[in-house]
Amino acid sequence: MDIEAVKQRAGPREFSPKDDLPEEYRKAATRMIQFHANSEIMGAYLERPFIRQAPSLDRKLAFSAKVQDEIGHGQLLYRAAESLGIKSREQMLDELAEGEGKFLNCFHYPMESWAEVPMIAFFVDGAAMRRQATLKRTSWEPYAHAMDKVCFEEGFHVKHGEDIMRELATGSKREQEMLQDAFDEWWPRIIQFFGPTDDKSTHHDFSADVGLKTMTNDELRNAFLNAYVPKAEKYGLEIPDEPRIRDNGDGTYEVVEEDLDWEEFFTIAKNDSPGSHEQIGKRERTQEAVEWVRESLDDWERASAGANATPEAAD
Amino acid sequence: MIWEVFRQEDAGEYHTHCGNVHAPDREMAKLFAQIQHGRRKPTNSLWVAPKEEIGEVDTEDAKFGGTTDKSYRWVMGYKDLDAAFAEEVADSESEQEEADEAKRARGGDD
Repeated sequence: MDIEAVKQRAGPREFSPKDDLPEEYRKAATRMIQFHANSEIMGAYLERPFIRQAPSLDRKLAFSAKVQDEIGHGQLLYRAAESLGIKSREQMLDELAEGEGKFLNCFHYPMESWAEVPMIAFFVDGAAMRRQATLKRTSWEPYAHAMDKVCFEEGFHVKHGEDIMRELATGSKREQEMLQDAFDEWWPRIIQFFGPTDDKSTHHDFSADVGLKTMTNDELRNAFLNAYVPKAEKYGLEIPDEPRIRDNGDGTYEVVEEDLDWEEFFTIAKNDSPGSHEQIGKRERTQEAVEWVRESLDDWERASAGANATPEAAD
Repeated sequence: MIWEVFRQEDAGEYHTHCGNVHAPDREMAKLFAQIQHGRRKPTNSLWVAPKEEIGEVDTEDAKFGGTTDKSYRWVMGYKDLDAAFAEEVADSESEQEEADEAKRARGGDD
């Protein structure tokens, strides 16, 4: 199939590993799914320390279940990416460890207090869910299938995140202040989750033409604001003055894009902020510490496959 | 030799198990699967896999989802929070409710 034929046929769940797809499509889909998979893993690593810091047994249980889900989502997505035949899972994990793998902007910032938890667990997960729901209609079938399972599970994450936020918002004055401070700090990053405005986005046109993406950055961001600005207000959070949010008066909102720090965003996109180095380094060290587990799995696989077996290439 | 057969009704959907066939090799298995399982029911694609290549774990061997109360990892555990503010959260909630009801109907635990 050539690229014109791909554009002609592009539609929800239209292409699967048995289609002969041009490299341009397979590379674009790999880039997008690998980014998504990396983000699941890096998000889980960022949140993991808070399993220990959870203020109650309930929270600890729910939070560890959630982190476990996210790692699972990463695994599902590496499989969906691998099935494009461009990169193996091992290669993608190596790239992440070596600081070449890209991931979501929000996971490049350190997280220090429990009051920051709902910023990820409610707002960032909510933003992710908004985007993921549209990806159920992506043209790469294995990606859409992964989204079915991810979206099924993710509702719990968002509600659990909201529950933590409600607890803080209705807690002591100190807790309310901590929540507001966290919100002030995270709000611009959360809005940048959806990437730059459409006319600055480098990859959108092609991805949309071949059905990988079904909505633009701006559409997704606006849909997110429409649902989540009222939520923030409901819990008594004050929306920071900057970036300016335009209330269109009909239940819809828009952000003034130039109020956001795009230089910071693009530094992060290159894995080059102080937080990027810290998060990537943390994960790399954890990976090394459990290298022996992967090695023993590989040894076991080789031993049980016997001497004649040839290693299977990524499909 | 027995081959398990999985049918996909439409492009983009899941291949789900629909039965099995006797066949001496993979090519014949694909042919027999077409005739037995793809002839009447809507079919976009069939997979065949040798029965002995399939591993199984069932309720005899495992307690799927564990043995303790895990309501904390279901949206229903947060029922007093409204999910309707975002369509995708509400969708996830109803999918989970359905799965939970199906489990309960079978007498399973979560």
